[in-house]
Amino acid sequence: MSSSSTSRYQTQPWRLWAIYGVVALVLGSLLFRLISLQVFQGTDWLEEAVENYTTIDYLAPSRGIIYDRNGYILAGNIASYSVVITPASLPNSQADIQNIYRNLSKLIDVPATQGTIEEAKLVAECVEGPGIEQLVALGESLAPYRPVKVKCDVDEAVARMVREGSVDWPGVSVLIDPIRDYPTGSLTANVVGFLGPIPAALEEEARAEGFVPNRDKIGYAGVEAALDQVLTGTPGRRTIQVDVAGQELRNLEPPVAPVPGNNLTLTIDTRLQTATEAVLLTEIKAWNDYFGRIRISSGVIIAMNPKTGEILAMVTYPTYENNRMSRFIPAYYYEQLSEDPRRPLLNNAIQAEFPPGSVFKISTATGAINEGVVRLGQEIFAPGQLDLCEKFSPNDPCTPNNTRPFVDWIYESNPEGFGIVDFYRCIAFSSNVCFYKLGGGYEDEIEEGLGIWRLGEYARAIGYGANSGIQLIGEQDGLIPTPQWKRINQGENWSTGDTYIAAVGQGYVLGTPLQVLMSGATIAADGKLMQPTIVREVTDSEGKVVEQWFNPVDFSIWVPEQIEDDRGNISGAWRNVGSDEIADKLPEGTYRISPFTENLKWDTTVDPVIQEYSCDAGYCSLNEDAYKVIQPSSIQAVQTGMRMAVTDPRGTLTRIFSGFPIAVAGKTGTAEYCDDVALQAQRCQFGQWPTHSWTLAYAPFDDPEIIVMAFAYNGGEGASVAGPMVIRTLEAYFEIKAIDIAQSGDG
Amino acid sequence: MFRDISWRHFDFWLLGAIVLATAFGTTMIRSAVAANEELTPLINRQIYFALAGLVLIFVVAVIDYRYWISLYIPIYIVMGVLLFALFLSAQAVFGAARWFTVGVLFVQPTEFAKIVIILILARYFEKTQDRPRDLRWIAFSLLWVGGLTIWILLQPNLSNVVVIAVIWFILLWLSGLQLKHLFSFVAAGILALGTLVGFSFFRIRIPFLQEYQQERIANFILPDPNATFGATYNVQQALIAIGSGGLFGQGYGHGTQTQLRFLKVRHTDFIFSAISEEFGMVGGILVILILAFIIWRCLRAAQHARDISGSIIAYGVATLIFFQGVVNIGVNMNIVPVSGLPLPFISYGGSGLTSLMLGIGLVESVALRHKSLDF
Repeated sequence: MSSSSTSRYQTQPWRLWAIYGVVALVLGSLLFRLISLQVFQGTDWLEEAVENYTTIDYLAPSRGIIYDRNGYILAGNIASYSVVITPASLPNSQADIQNIYRNLSKLIDVPATQGTIEEAKLVAECVEGPGIEQLVALGESLAPYRPVKVKCDVDEAVARMVREGSVDWPGVSVLIDPIRDYPTGSLTANVVGFLGPIPAALEEEARAEGFVPNRDKIGYAGVEAALDQVLTGTPGRRTIQVDVAGQELRNLEPPVAPVPGNNLTLTIDTRLQTATEAVLLTEIKAWNDYFGRIRISSGVIIAMNPKTGEILAMVTYPTYENNRMSRFIPAYYYEQLSEDPRRPLLNNAIQAEFPPGSVFKISTATGAINEGVVRLGQEIFAPGQLDLCEKFSPNDPCTPNNTRPFVDWIYESNPEGFGIVDFYRCIAFSSNVCFYKLGGGYEDEIEEGLGIWRLGEYARAIGYGANSGIQLIGEQDGLIPTPQWKRINQGENWSTGDTYIAAVGQGYVLGTPLQVLMSGATIAADGKLMQPTIVREVTDSEGKVVEQWFNPVDFSIWVPEQIEDDRGNISGAWRNVGSDEIADKLPEGTYRISPFTENLKWDTTVDPVIQEYSCDAGYCSLNEDAYKVIQPSSIQAVQTGMRMAVTDPRGTLTRIFSGFPIAVAGKTGTAEYCDDVALQAQRCQFGQWPTHSWTLAYAPFDDPEIIVMAFAYNGGEGASVAGPMVIRTLEAYFEIKAIDIAQSGDG
Repeated sequence: MFRDISWRHFDFWLLGAIVLATAFGTTMIRSAVAANEELTPLINRQIYFALAGLVLIFVVAVIDYRYWISLYIPIYIVMGVLLFALFLSAQAVFGAARWFTVGVLFVQPTEFAKIVIILILARYFEKTQDRPRDLRWIAFSLLWVGGLTIWILLQPNLSNVVVIAVIWFILLWLSGLQLKHLFSFVAAGILALGTLVGFSFFRIRIPFLQEYQQERIANFILPDPNATFGATYNVQQALIAIGSGGLFGQGYGHGTQTQLRFLKVRHTDFIFSAISEEFGMVGGILVILILAFIIWRCLRAAQHARDISGSIIAYGVATLIFFQGVVNIGVNMNIVPVSGLPLPFISYGGSGLTSLMLGIGLVESVALRHKSLDF
């Protein structure tokens, strides 16, 4: 009974002890877990807590403005207004909210409610479709404090009305985004370019620099792309504390304001650009109308100051409207442009290479006179055609099988040819026969021709065969063929015929319109090859001119920087604006773009850029490490020849330049070519070749300040198609100059 | 029934611990809801409930617990009707209903049902104290418990069913559950748990379990690394809150997880995380120690009870506090799947606090009428 009486009132002690044990064990493990979380892993969790509430907000810098040389804006920033709703700031009452939606809907023409949230999820920002209610509901579920764009890019008037209304509509506001505006549009699109979204491949790099993909843009073409580093500026940065809904609470670090991009002043004169565009378009239209079909599909006119390298006008046809790309790049428009066979997105002035034809004779002439291939006053017989033999090696005999006639362009109208001419008249008449002889030699008359090796040296010395290094992307380097090149690319030995036709800028020779212009400019500038440039200067946001250097190889921008070493010595160095890399020396080829300087690539009469060759019987060998200059007298002789093209009664430009008040020198070119279109039309055969039309001319002859180059694709004869383009552009230039002088006289 | 009361035997230590826990809880609720204007009225509500609860402790303590046990039939019926009505109203709104709205109060009958079940078991184990501890004895206790619990299971409110099951099991154990029965229970339990986890993991639906509950279990076993903002978000934020507290905490009202609302339901389910963030390890340990102290005082009252029903009541209340506390803290520290049980005396919640105060009142009633071995 006694044992049962204990059991009546008390639990068996061991059962209770088991309970105590469990309690102790469980509470002990809770304590253990607590300590391990807070003490041993504490710093890791603290980091996560900090990450939770820290948001870094990058502030977009405003992009630099692009001006022409007279301060006319070519690319600026204008405001784009978007109507936004911040979900968290809307009133509490559903009735009030619906009232706001209805009123706003009337103003901005977006339905108050339409579709479902699920449908709204599928639609990108700014794309119409979902109603206001759906957009706001979606935004609220993601981040209630982030403004939701309900209508993008509204009129300024609508924006003003919404802003007035927003006094009574809590949560509604107007967001202003800068977008690019190109007042000159297609007129300068090939030079200025356009912007586009940061491509996926560059996203990581851009993020590291503080740019925000999908918001910030980068240049896709023109100087917008090539000088992106100048224009883009430095993003600002705010490190802010946010709560779980994304509401900003305070700055965790002092905010850093964005640094606006530098402004760019180009060398382009918009007035001349406009006039030149009119010239190009009307001439092309006139010829196409005359032929009753699209014959000339594209054309280029470039005007440059030969002494400074400043490009005053660069007009290409066809081109595109860069304003249509300013908000976003419309897919249909981009497709239309890229599928157009005339390739309007291509800047034909630098991004396309063509056979230069007779304008290339400037290289041959310079080489021939400088190498003593021909003397001034030496008589050269130039019949209508010349039988020359095609030799693939020095010992090939000349047989009727390998001999064929090489025709002069005059042959069709006058089979007798030019008769006896001298060096000047070879240039002035553009006699092919004469240049065949100069280039390849002819019997006793020209015992030793210039030859392909030496021709290449002179061509390169005056601007062919390499990128010019202008501040535009996608430049082509043209082609100055060598026997080695031919063996590698054509699988055939160089022949004497190749030399003959290379001497007149045909065959394998290719050049960009800019290179053709440079060759003429080098002669005009007494042998100085100037760096062609479209940048006049770079100014900061306060208008102060800043020093900037440009590396055409990788398009990096370098600025001088003072650096202090360990011992406190201050020395000069260079900083790459894009990568912040510091270097003691500027990379090879880097030149100053601001403040403006005339950048001389080389002076052919001073700098020994011509490699010497010893030639015998048409075959030349390289003299190692022996370089020479072009004699000023040689340049002068070519200048005289080009002047006589305008003054001699039989000169190629005499007829069309008659009555032109200013002394001009020039050279024409009618370059036979064969492309897919011509091949299809079965015109790639003797006597049938289609021709590009070239002309370049500079003025005034004594002290040149302008050189103009015109090119018309499939234009036909150089003098009659490209010639008038050059004349009218020169007229426009001198007219504008006269206006400027008159105005400065008044002031 | 008020006779023979000696206030000397009232457990003022227990009362002190309760006051401390409630005061600490209210203080922490104030910090936790500070960031949300809509929640600020909760502070005063909690204070009113706490004060009313303290009064309730004294009132219940004064009344002999045997009085309630003698009324077990009407209490059992009223509770059953309430739970059944709750189940019906839940059916009407096609979802889980946990409370009745009485004026401005949300009354959760389930919270009170746990106390009722302790009373019912106290009566049963006292009445059957001389019976053999056979399966019949177990089965009848289960029937008594099951009569109320079935409606809770059908709500469905699995967490509280588990709480009740644990209370039933612990009380069985203390009343002399045979070891062979225990082992078969454990085996059955492991089997049931294994099925539960396995089915949840392979997304096979189990009756009485909501899909979200199974998901919680599955998430606990194998967290989906991509689901940061999904099911594991709340627990992850709780861990960040606790961990970032460190030794001494971020300071009252300065915990970024709590104040910037990264921590969800921080005034109820995750208040332990809020405490640990703002008061650090010191605060966390303090909470655990207070709970341990309360549990110890309840167990002590049980040992000194004058009869079986008294000690069962005290054991039951101790189990209730212990289990809910441990599960809640375990959820906060991600060692138990998310369950929604409040932290006793500290989490916000009128019904939960009142029912616990009721339980403590009963324990004090037991302590006041301790067995007469006091010299």
